[in-house]
Amino acid sequence: MIWYLELALRLIIWLLLTADLSWENIAIGVVVSLLIPRCTSTRIIRLRDWFHAGWESLVAIPQAYKEAFEIMLRPHAFEETTLEQVPPRRTPGLIFLDIFIITFTPKTIVTRYHERGWYEVHWIRRRKPE
Amino acid sequence: MVVAILSNVCIAVGLVFLLWGTWPLLGKRSVLFKLHSLSVADTLGSMAIVVGLLIRIPREWPLLVLALISLAIWNTILGYVLAYCSTEGRTND
Repeated sequence: MIWYLELALRLIIWLLLTADLSWENIAIGVVVSLLIPRCTSTRIIRLRDWFHAGWESLVAIPQAYKEAFEIMLRPHAFEETTLEQVPPRRTPGLIFLDIFIITFTPKTIVTRYHERGWYEVHWIRRRKPE
Repeated sequence: MVVAILSNVCIAVGLVFLLWGTWPLLGKRSVLFKLHSLSVADTLGSMAIVVGLLIRIPREWPLLVLALISLAIWNTILGYVLAYCSTEGRTND
């Protein structure tokens, strides 16, 4: 993850945990965020990819509730497993977010990540897959 | 008044999700099939209840927002781990 995004994420979690916006607490939070070991990746990271993944995570919330109502109102009795291609230039952090977004929505669950560039996805369907 | 109604609606939706998603665990479908309904119960149901609490007691927002983030991430990733463990042909990739 890009270092300042990582720092911001840690600081947000620190502030939520402590619920204290005083300067002293923010300073302690910054120090703690800097002291925790960083995730290092040798791949080139693009800010646009992170914003895109962040946006997709937010959109996944209403999508998940929509799917939940769909499977509650119309039974999805059939199962299917498909292989979905991993987008190019994915860092481990972005792959984690991809798996999170797919699994968060109730109709799909990632069952395995293949390093050759595939996600194995388990679906529930309303109609029998052809 | 509106706040109380909105909060009650969220909590009621969460409870319905929890009951609906937990019931299929007693059935004879595959583990993966059960995980789909469990994600409705565990993740979305619990999140709806916490949102209901957030509307009702807004002064506790930092902890409740942290609870929402934790529920979303931990439940989802545990779902992935359970799905991974329940399928054949595991490799370490």
